[in-house]
Formats: sequence, C-alpha cells, structure tokens
Amino acid sequence: MTAKLNRPQSIKLYKDMVTIRAFEEEVRKMFSAGLAPGLVHLYSGQEAVGVGTCATLDKDDYIASHHRGHGHCIAKGSDITRLFAEIIGRRPGYSLGRGGSMHIHDPETGNLGTNGIVGGSVPLATGAALSAKLRGTGQVAISFFGDGVLNQGILFESLNMAALWSLPVVFVCENNGYGEFTEIDDVTAGRPYTKRGAAFDIPADKYDGMDVLVVYDAVSKAVERARKGKGPSFLIFDTYRYSGHSVGDKQEYKDEKERQLWEARDPIQKMAKLMVKMKLATKNDLKKMDEEINSTVVAAAKVAKKMPVPGADDLARHVYAP
Amino acid sequence: MPPDSSANIQSDRNITLKAAVLEAMFEEMKCDENVVLIGEDVGAAGGVFKQTEGLFETFGADRVIDTPISESAIFGLSVGAAMAGSRPIVEVMFGDFLTLVMDQLVNQAAKVHYMSAGGFNVPLVLRTGIGIGGSLGPQHSQSLHSWLAHIPGLKVVMPSSAADAKGLFKAAVRDNNPVIFMEDRMTYNLKEHVPTGEKIIPLASAAVKRKGVEVTIFAISRAVHTALAAAEILLEEKNISTEVVDLRTLAPLDVETIVSSVRKTGRAIVLDGGYKSFGITGEIAATIGELVFDYLDAPVMRLAAPDIPVPYSPSLESLMVPSVDQVVAKVSTMFGDSV
Amino acid sequence: MTNSLNIEQNLAILDRMLLIRRFEEMLIDLDQDHDFGHYHLYIGEEATGATVVESLIPTDLLLTTWRNHGHLLARGTNPGRMVAEILGRVDGYNKGRGGTLHLTDREAGFLSTSGLVGGAVGLAAGAGFALKQAGEGNICVVFFGDGSLEEGVVFEAMNLASLWSLPVLFMCENNNSGAISAQEGGFPSSEIAASQISDIPKSLNIKSKLVDGADVAAVHAVVTEAVSNIRSGNGPVFIEAYSERWPGSRPLWPEQATGVTQLEAAWDQTVITGEHADWVRKFDPIIRFIRSQLEAGLFSKDELFDRDRKIQNQVIEARAFGEASALPDPQSALDGVFAA
Repeated sequence: MTAKLNRPQSIKLYKDMVTIRAFEEEVRKMFSAGLAPGLVHLYSGQEAVGVGTCATLDKDDYIASHHRGHGHCIAKGSDITRLFAEIIGRRPGYSLGRGGSMHIHDPETGNLGTNGIVGGSVPLATGAALSAKLRGTGQVAISFFGDGVLNQGILFESLNMAALWSLPVVFVCENNGYGEFTEIDDVTAGRPYTKRGAAFDIPADKYDGMDVLVVYDAVSKAVERARKGKGPSFLIFDTYRYSGHSVGDKQEYKDEKERQLWEARDPIQKMAKLMVKMKLATKNDLKKMDEEINSTVVAAAKVAKKMPVPGADDLARHVYAP
Repeated sequence: MPPDSSANIQSDRNITLKAAVLEAMFEEMKCDENVVLIGEDVGAAGGVFKQTEGLFETFGADRVIDTPISESAIFGLSVGAAMAGSRPIVEVMFGDFLTLVMDQLVNQAAKVHYMSAGGFNVPLVLRTGIGIGGSLGPQHSQSLHSWLAHIPGLKVVMPSSAADAKGLFKAAVRDNNPVIFMEDRMTYNLKEHVPTGEKIIPLASAAVKRKGVEVTIFAISRAVHTALAAAEILLEEKNISTEVVDLRTLAPLDVETIVSSVRKTGRAIVLDGGYKSFGITGEIAATIGELVFDYLDAPVMRLAAPDIPVPYSPSLESLMVPSVDQVVAKVSTMFGDSV
Repeated sequence: MTNSLNIEQNLAILDRMLLIRRFEEMLIDLDQDHDFGHYHLYIGEEATGATVVESLIPTDLLLTTWRNHGHLLARGTNPGRMVAEILGRVDGYNKGRGGTLHLTDREAGFLSTSGLVGGAVGLAAGAGFALKQAGEGNICVVFFGDGSLEEGVVFEAMNLASLWSLPVLFMCENNNSGAISAQEGGFPSSEIAASQISDIPKSLNIKSKLVDGADVAAVHAVVTEAVSNIRSGNGPVFIEAYSERWPGSRPLWPEQATGVTQLEAAWDQTVITGEHADWVRKFDPIIRFIRSQLEAGLFSKDELFDRDRKIQNQVIEARAFGEASALPDPQSALDGVFAA
C-alpha cells in the first residue's frame, strides 16, 4: 500500500523532513540563547505528517495549523529565513515580527496560520473549504490539529457542518499522545477516536504517522475525495514529539522506554532506509543531502539573526485593513 | 461596483429599519457574488423576525446558508471563509449569544489582519439583534457592544433608524474588516424615509440629529429616539436648547464630531442601552474630559441600564431602559435644577 | 410491552400527564389575555417527563430547557406559582425575574433552566461532578432537545461525564419528527449529519438507548434500568426519547392546533376532527395511554373524567393565583445581583 512515488518526489519528501528537523534544532538553539522570546513548540518527530500531507496539495490549497506549526509552514513552502525571522521577532518575518511562532500566516501558500488557540484553526479551515466550494475553485483545505482537540466542542461543530454540506476539508489529527503534560488517553472518553468523525458519517481512519508514504497515501485519497465533491475525511495519525510540549519542558511525564520505541520508528531514518533499498538514492547521496540542508538552514538562521527588529512605527500597522 | 441603475427615485419611501437593512442585503448580494449570508433560520424561514425574508428565494441555498445551532463554529467558519475570499454576513440570532462566538471573534477575527501583517483580511459582517423589551429575559436582552468596542481590530456599528441602517450596512459589507452590526429590536419597525440609490454612509461617522447650543446628548441606537424626545420636552418646558448626536459607530469612534459639539454647547450627557459600568458611556466621558475639558461648564453625565441582569417581569424590565423623563431630569440638573 | 408499573404508579403518571396537558392548554388562553412573550409547550411529550420522574428520588437533581413546564409539573412544582412566574409576578418561583424561559423550582431539585440551546447540558456535567463527590447515590437528569446536539458544549460535557463516570442521565427529547420545514412556515429542529443521534454519545463511550417517548411503559423500563446503572456508579447514560411533534408547536408561536383535549377520543373516534385528527389519533400520548389502560382496567371512564375534572379545577385555581399575584416592587430590582 505504499504510494508509488518517483525519485524526485521521494527526494522532496526526504528533504522536507530533514529541513524541518534541522530547522527545529536551530529554533531550539535560538530559544536557549534567549533569542526566541515567549514560547516555541517543536515539531521534531512529527515531520512525516506535515510533509506527507502537504505533498498532496497544490500551492493554492489551504492549510490551517496550530501552535506546533513550523513543520506545516515549511512543508507548505514558506521561506525558512522569514520563518526564522518571525520566530525571533524580526521585521522581515511573516508578521513583521509581531506574531512569533504561533501567529505565522502565509497567504501566498494558502497558509491560514499557526494558531495559539487549541482548536481555534479548525473552523477557519472548514470555512475556507466552504468558500472554495461556493466559489467553485476546486481548492481543498487541511485542518491540522492535535489530539487535545478531540475534546473540543468546536471540532464537533465543525465536523457536523463539514459533513452536512459536503465541504472539501480534510481533518488531520496528529495524535502524539500528549495534551501538553497529560496523556491523551487519560482525558478522552470513547474508543477508537475515529468514532468522533464516524458519528457524522465522515470516512474516518487511523494510520501510522511515522511513515511519510503512509501519510501521503492516506491524505491523497482524502484530498481526491474532497476535490470530487464527496466531502470531508477524518484522519488520525499516530505520531510522537521528541521535544517537550514547549522548549523548556523537562518531559518528566514521559517514559524513557517509550521514547526509545518511537525513536526506532523515526520517520527520516525510515524514509532513508527505504530510498536506499529501492535504489532511489545511495547512503552517500543522503549524507550529502543532509549536509547541504544543514548548511542552508544554519545559514538562514544566521541571516535571520542579523535582521532588524520592528520599530515603534510598526506597532500600530495593520490593525484594520484599508 | 456599478451604481444603482434604478433611475426612478420614489420621493415617498418610508420604510422600517428592518426593511432597510434587508434592502441593503439584497443590493450587496446582487452586486458582489462573494457576499453570502450564514446563520440559523436565515434562509428558508426568512429569519426569526422575518428580517431576511426573500433572500433565500432570490439567491438560493449556495448563498443563503441555514446552519445548525453551533454559534462558535458558524462564526469561526465565517472567519475562515472570509480569509479565503468570501464576504460573509453572519447572523447571530440574539446579541447575548455573542458569548458563544467570543473566542473566534476576539482571538481570531480581530487579530488575523494584524498578526499576518496585512497578509489576510477578514471582511465580514456579524449582524445581531440586541435590546431590552418584550420580556425576553436575562439571556435574551443584553447589549454587549461595550465588550466588542473594547477589542482592537473590531468595528462596531449601531444605527438608530432606517436610512442610517441601510447606508451603514452597505458600508459594513464593503469594509474589509470584521464589523459587528447591532440593531435594537425595538427599532426594527420604526419607519423613516430611505432614499434609493447608492447612499453609503461611512463608518466612524457620527451625525448631529438635532442642532442645539446649550447641552449635547450623545446617544446610540434606540437611545437616540429617547434623546430626541427628551430634547423636545427640554425646549418646550425648560427652554433648554439641546443638541443630539447619534454616534452611529462605536469603534472607531468619531471623536471629531464629539469634541466639536462639546466646544459648542459646553455640556454633555451620554445615553446608552447597555449596562452602565465599564461601558461606552465612561469611554466617551473620559474622552471629552481629556480633549475639551476647558469647554465644559458641568461634569459629563451618564445614563444607561443599571448593572443588573435584565429581569423578565414587565414592571422591573421597564426600569432597565433610560426613559425620556429620566433624561429630562438629568439634563435639568446640569442647569442648576434640583429635580 | 409489559408494563412494569403498578397501579399506583400508572395512576400517578396519568395525573401528571393530565395536569401538564390542562396547564399547557390554559396557557394558550392565558397568553391571549396577557401576552407574556414567547413560550414553549410540552403538549405531545407528556409521557416522557411524567414517566422519567417516577424513577427519581427527591434528592436527585434536574436541569431542563425553555420547554420546562412539563418537567416541573411532573416533579410536583406548584402550578399557581408557575403561572405567577410566567406572568412575571412577585409570587413566581423566580420572583418575576425569569419568566417561562427560566422557571426553576429549587425544592423540587431543579438547578436551572437555560434559554440557550445546550446550556443546561454543560451545567449537568457539573452537577454530576458535585453529586459524585458527595457520594450519596444521587443522580442528575438533564432534559434537552435534539437541536442541542449541534452545540459544542454538549459534546464537551458528555466527554467529561463519560471520562469521569459522572452520575448523569442525558434525556434527549427528540421531537424533530413532525416538525414542518421552514418553507412551510415551521421551525424545524436539528441539522445533524449523524444518521443516528446516538452515534454521537456512543463515540464517547456512553451507553445509549432509543425509546418511543410516547410509550409510558417503554420509557419507564428504559429509564429504570438506566437510573439503576448510573446509581451503581457505572457512568452516564444517554436516552433518546422520540415523539411526533404536536402540530401546535410547529410554528414559531404555539397555537391551539388540535383543540382542547377530549379524553373520549381514546374510545370515540367521532370526536376526533379537524386538520390534525391524525396526530390525535396516532400520536397523542395521553390518548394512547388512556386507550391501553382502559383496556387493562386501570380505571373506568367515570373515574377518568373525575380525575380530569379535579385536575382542571386545580389548573383554574392556579391561573387565579397567578393572576392575583402582584407585579414585583421596583425597589426590589437591585436585590440579589450578588450573593451575600
């Protein structure tokens, strides 16, 4: 059931995941160096979901993200220097440096934004899908959300309307097992979680979120369904975040053994192994790619660090649209 | 957008506020296919107060969308749709239910344009009915405009009569920001001459509804009518010349008109249908004090609903709305009367 | 369906249903004279409310919606004070402050009635939480309509109730059937994508049952079992009790669509006339109950008329009490904004 991808496609998937991993590592360093004020939530470990999903989309398809959204932004094609800039509050960032990690919007890539409110972006994606349907453009929307949102009333309301009106939205749940410091199984009634979507007669299924090809396959089918006017899908991807909820979280609530089990399923290593096996790349090719990407990312971070902060004049801009 | 092509201007067009807003909706939906109407019972039923009658039949289910009872997601969905190119008009049945949309309104709609540094607009109109009367009880009678005017990024518009309502509604639909358009149910059936044609009234513009020189009553929505009635009595019985300013938009506030009037009259009283404390009356009083203190001959006064949940019983409910008599009495005290 | 109710219980249920019916009919008339704003009638749904309370004990708690008269009367709330409240008078349960939308009787165990769809359900999870903490075996019943399942807060409340095994009985009174479409001038109920409403609570691992809300014996059987389960600490239960909406409740404002109820309709078809004869014949829960209980010999026709007469007099007295009560003193308006 692995998707049939050619060499360029496979390489893109691999590279995007590696980029995200490298990017988040830089962000972590920036945070530790006191350059990223506030809070940052890292995506390391979950790359397969963001990358596998966005690879199925066109540039003008929509995504709506959340607080752990850097990976989504990168996978959807945002410029990494500007992403760094935004995260460390510099003016060339996507929000003039006034939004930070949780408020990155990129209209050119259909990115409705990362979001600071759990579940807050779910109706935004649903509404974008409604708009696309009304305008007859064939665009689809992806609503990324975490397992914590499975208990949010607004998810429930959005699922109902998406189903009622056959909206072209794909609900992608990244279940990394934790809502901040709490194990999700402890606070969520009802098993399996897919029933929450199935209750509204929405096709719902659960997948291995550590395998980028599995993700690509599942989301492609859902996106196709949506584009054909067949309505929403509800997909749950089991995945894992290597980092804490936010950087600085000591993760005392996590089990060391559990971590090791998940690391053994690392999505980047898995893809690397497969590419070598399928002769899409040699180990050396991959090593070279890794090094190049690392340099690019580190260089971008360096550029961003030199960028200016927004001035007092930037404070009141864009409160209202003209 | 092409100007209205109906060359036959009827000279006598006295229509209700409700009908005027409906006309505005028809016109805006006709000239921009991105404008859609979303809400509970707004389509096939024509609205619980028949305020959207006929739209569904004219524009169809693709543009007039009946929803389940899911205020949070309905509004959130509208924000997302607006970000993606639609121009929704969202009806929230009762202003009290704004509590259910607060997160999407305050944390999403109000801030998207700012947070995206101009990348995304949220061009939508949230339309809702407010106001005390008819014994609808504490959960169906509130006017929460002060909460909303307090939030940067939102615009709050409250017309008092039909012509203003039509012109302001058209402006609201064309505005590229989230605009909350609130009508007091008690003004729905008030008739006024409403001109045809594209008479758009810009937001953030107050209007002097009655000229006077000795005191200004600043009012909004239903209270404007109370102010006008009080002004008549003040002139006839107390020989006090009263100016009445209809604020029309709360956010952004037309500070220029406010201070001009105070410079002229030297006395001000603010009238509001919402709860008194921590509301717009305080905002306007403070603004006047800061900007034109030297022109004041008396402290700025305020009259609004008492800080009490709106009771159901008619005898108590009527105490919640500032009356014409109360306004007359209060204004009189500003001239040395001990009423 | 075997009737697990004894004679006393059946008679009690009959009396409750008759009281509710006569009370609601009186209100339509009262509204002509007093015009007390928008209100909602429980006609057509009496069998559910009247029977549910049979399985409760005095210390159980209840929550309901704006369609609350039936629940209150079933629980023994004083009809005179109810009329007073509906008219906004000082002797009303809320001292005239709530009206029909917020009628509450604390002594009968009602916490609140919500004017907002789904509002009471959120509160019910909380009541369940408190009851569980208290550990005295009491439960909370929350009545709500099918439309409530569109509100996110209901989902959140059910999730918590399930997660924490809260002693809550979710009574969903689905009167969507028989509602007429908006194009026909009606106000239809729910717009839910689920093909079965119970799929929603089931997805949260809540035991769910479906029952004909107009069938007294069936309702009793299902509710008794559910209540027993909940009291044993096995967590919440969701019951969907469906009924065919009374024609008078179809338009926005209640209308006397089927005429003042004639109990003879249970055995004399000729008295059933008019546009909605079908509803009376097939769906009126009181007529159904009388029909079956006459057969079972629970009462004679004379006894039936006797009970009805007494109840009608009770309702007349209640109306008089309410109308005689004074409007609240304006000075009292400021009282009670804050607790002491």
